[in-house]
Amino acid sequence: MRQRLPALVSLVAVAAVLTALPFVLSSYNTSLVTQVGIFFIAVLGLNILTGYSGQISIGHGAFMAIGGYTTAVMSRDHHTDLIVTMLMALAICFVLGLLVGIPALRLSGVYLALATFALAISIPQLPLQWSTFLGGTGGVQSSNPDVRFLWHTAPAMPERWLYGTAWAAAALLFLAAWLILRGRVGRAFRAIRDSEIAATASGVELPVYKTLAFGISAAYAGVAGSLFVLATNGFAQPTEFGVILSLQLLVGAAVAGLGSLWGVLVGAAFVGLLPQVSTSVPVIGSDHGRDVVFGMMVVIVMLLLPEGIAGLLARLRLLVRA
Amino acid sequence: MRINRKKLGALLCALGATAAIASSAAASHSSTPGVSKKQIVIGGTFPLTGGASLYASIASAEEAYYAYVNAHGGVYKRKIKDIVLDDQYDPSQTVPAVQKLVEQDHVFAIVGSLGTAPGLATWNYLNQNMVPQVLLATGDAYWGNCVKLKCDGMTHPWTEGWQPDYPGEAKLYASYILKQKPNAKIGVLYQNDAYGKNYFNGLKTGLGTHQNQIVDAEAYNFGDSAQVVGAHIGALEAHGADTVVLFSTPTASIQSLATMSAVLHWSPLTLLNNVSANPLFMFFAEQNGASLNGVVSTTYVPSQTTQANLAGMKLAKKIIDATGNTSLENDFNEGDSNLVYGLAVGWTFVDALKAAGPNPTRAGLMHALRNLNESGKTANPFVYPGMSVSTSSKRFFPMEQLIFEKWAGQTGSATGNWKTFGKVLNSGH
Amino acid sequence: METITSPISGLRARGVALGSVVPIYLLLVACGVTLLVGCLQSGLFARLTVSGLAVGAAYGSLALALVLIYRATHVINFAQGELAMATTYVAYQLIQWGLSYWEAFFATLAIAFMIGTLLQVALIRPVQHRSQVAAVIVTVGLFILIDGIVNWIWGGNFKFMQSPFGTGAYTIGGVDIEHLYVGMFGVVLASVVLVWALFRFTKLGLGMRAAALRPAAASLVGVRVDAMLALGWGLAAVLGAVAGLMYEPSQFTLDPTLMQTALVYAFAAAVLGGLDSPVGAVVGGLAIGVFLNLLVGYVPAISSELQLPFAFALLLAILLVKPSGLFGQREVRRV
Repeated sequence: MRQRLPALVSLVAVAAVLTALPFVLSSYNTSLVTQVGIFFIAVLGLNILTGYSGQISIGHGAFMAIGGYTTAVMSRDHHTDLIVTMLMALAICFVLGLLVGIPALRLSGVYLALATFALAISIPQLPLQWSTFLGGTGGVQSSNPDVRFLWHTAPAMPERWLYGTAWAAAALLFLAAWLILRGRVGRAFRAIRDSEIAATASGVELPVYKTLAFGISAAYAGVAGSLFVLATNGFAQPTEFGVILSLQLLVGAAVAGLGSLWGVLVGAAFVGLLPQVSTSVPVIGSDHGRDVVFGMMVVIVMLLLPEGIAGLLARLRLLVRA
Repeated sequence: MRINRKKLGALLCALGATAAIASSAAASHSSTPGVSKKQIVIGGTFPLTGGASLYASIASAEEAYYAYVNAHGGVYKRKIKDIVLDDQYDPSQTVPAVQKLVEQDHVFAIVGSLGTAPGLATWNYLNQNMVPQVLLATGDAYWGNCVKLKCDGMTHPWTEGWQPDYPGEAKLYASYILKQKPNAKIGVLYQNDAYGKNYFNGLKTGLGTHQNQIVDAEAYNFGDSAQVVGAHIGALEAHGADTVVLFSTPTASIQSLATMSAVLHWSPLTLLNNVSANPLFMFFAEQNGASLNGVVSTTYVPSQTTQANLAGMKLAKKIIDATGNTSLENDFNEGDSNLVYGLAVGWTFVDALKAAGPNPTRAGLMHALRNLNESGKTANPFVYPGMSVSTSSKRFFPMEQLIFEKWAGQTGSATGNWKTFGKVLNSGH
Repeated sequence: METITSPISGLRARGVALGSVVPIYLLLVACGVTLLVGCLQSGLFARLTVSGLAVGAAYGSLALALVLIYRATHVINFAQGELAMATTYVAYQLIQWGLSYWEAFFATLAIAFMIGTLLQVALIRPVQHRSQVAAVIVTVGLFILIDGIVNWIWGGNFKFMQSPFGTGAYTIGGVDIEHLYVGMFGVVLASVVLVWALFRFTKLGLGMRAAALRPAAASLVGVRVDAMLALGWGLAAVLGAVAGLMYEPSQFTLDPTLMQTALVYAFAAAVLGGLDSPVGAVVGGLAIGVFLNLLVGYVPAISSELQLPFAFALLLAILLVKPSGLFGQREVRRV
């Protein structure tokens, strides 16, 4: 218990800060931290897949799209409660993730990565095909009254609902991830990551756990996608879910590194905040800052921390112990 | 460690007081955000980078116009400051950009933003917060149709477009074909999204019972390679079309025009949508071997090359030259129509701002924009002579007029221009 | 994420290798015959095939660059397309400064080579031994950065580059075959053959192959592995530049989005052909170029929106049958 204390204390501290922030920050800055929460969920999911079970996906933007459209369409057509749509997104993406995980068993390494990349490119095309139902390029606008509540009153208010929902979801999913990973499932995942052959030899049923990892990570991405659409004023449109989104998730997961949930927070902040912040860099200007500064930062961070924040923390821990 | 209650209490009081002061300071902003004694701050979102960045020059032209107005005393002694943010045509970037403009930069109005999807992503937010979202640079009909009607769950009285809408333009092409080539076998290339489909539907409506004269309609995706677009054009030829209507964005239009004449050696009667009819794009097609003589389109702004003697065009040249931006000046001199469009929009904004009086409010601006009357003596100098920009309680589309033009140029070189013909026509949607 | 693939096992029996490759060659021959017959039957078919082969060559060149880098360093270079686009802009600028097209062309190839080697040395080498994922993410960062830099320097407006092959065409059997398409195909073919010859017949090439396949053993016999890998990146950048320079005239305009769709097709081609097979990459590129054109021309039932998903679904189906691509070799994982 004494060993756990520092971790618990820092957890409580972070929770306290996150709870206080929306009351201290301006509405716009609050929405930036909301983005971090959204990416936290998505990167957490991707981390479970990549970091813990060793399968690479550059396609989770597609699951975010599916989750986001679920929320928008259900809200538009049936005025479903937004939290309920998020649960629906979770369930639908879990099932779809399992379905993707099955053929993924045949592929490995870079082939899997590129196959999921193909997914990321293809899925956003589908709303263009079924444009009456899925809005085409005109997008789908959520119409749930809760969403409109966001913009009713003075500017200071609206962001807090979304912020609270996003970070509450993040906390719950974080807890869920922690429970999953410390149990049998987590051990199976780690065994698979370290050596598939050894894991099979030890009795771990590869197909079950690998597919499960896909399902779980897709479910997380679905919830993140749901919140992502809500953060875009409830408007879902194909351009929001381009290839860049999947690449951003991958970057976030890489910055996070393996095996550290703190890393996930930093990774999420990196991809959630940096692109917006980059537009304020002088000289380069707001038009080009987003690409030039962010791109440069990605390169630099990876050069300095090839194993991500998790690697950094692991090394620091060694230093502290020494 | 004992907590000193008194100190904690004092700290909390101080925090509370600061918060109260901060929020009241914020409240005092909200009386007329963006308007101060010396300045009016407005903002807009544009695709300055990314796949649609060829429209970025519109923002430059608008800014040039505001610079000109500022150099001449501004509006009621206030200088206009225009904050343009890049959204890369991605709604998930437009939303935070607009939020920043409204909540951090406290802009008076969102002016001239480009793109339908970006507009749709933010129109509920802006209307709920009663922020003018005006003079949008897109020809979709939502901006006028949803003022009194509920769209996406609410009415949008704070939103207004400017340019003639796409379906109206397409209907004019339909009447042109029926008049000039009544037995035409029509082939249509359209972009596979709301933009292209709106045009296509407008054409079909305009053709009415003659819709069956459309022998083939090909949809291409934005981003398709020239070969895929070319394959679609080839299909139009294979179906025996002798009249081609292009409802495409500039890249695909250039590729279609070049493929038709340089590759297929095919010269059907070609109608091109206005968005693609910028002389600069025509030059690209010509340099790639296209023969464009006789291509027909429509316009609503004058040409700074063929109509250089118009007072408006002389003024335009003066304004662009004053920017000191050589690439902008070069583009202007070559005939870039996007620049004239930008100046025209800027002019309308300033016109409305003046009408809103010495103490402009957001509601006052909207009132002025809903009662535009830029015609005759008060005509917009950057709009085609004889055309008027007007709105009223019954009319929510400011520009609803077009005039036909025909291209005369030279294959293989960047020369040529549009010559208008016929009368100013109404493109009522 | 650790290295998952192991070098192609030299212990693989010859018979097994042949068995998996012969059907593929037969399939290719069958496709070739079908295309030929189709071309002779229909002018439209011929036109679509020719232009498909031409752009397919460009995709293949880019795919070959990807495969080269993957074989050498097991890194997917996400920035390959943007690099190709940037080097095309360099050529554009050189032409603006007065060089003739072909002078600019060769100067650009040299510059591309230098940039490629520099990138490997400065940005990839420091991280690739520590973590392959990090190296891939560096290329993602480069993808974003290069796009930003090009936009910053040249802006997003269209630029015009004179086609080096003019706008004329050969007329064979009533069908026009553009000089441009013949030129594109020829130049790409020439560069691919040159690279192949380099690998096959020169000591340098042998050293590069050894460094890619068996780095430890190679360094023992005196091959400077690090330098070879850097050269590999340089060559890949050259192939990318060729792809960009040949692709641009076929698209009629130059703008920063030039190679974005091409990169996606190049990835598909590389995966289709097998990421460790140079032949596969080029064949994959040609196949994709032709297939897409024919799909558009002859299967209107697959509407525009479904083309990309359909093409990828097909790709995935092929991968499920041959998980390492058509020409790829199955990985043998040692315990």
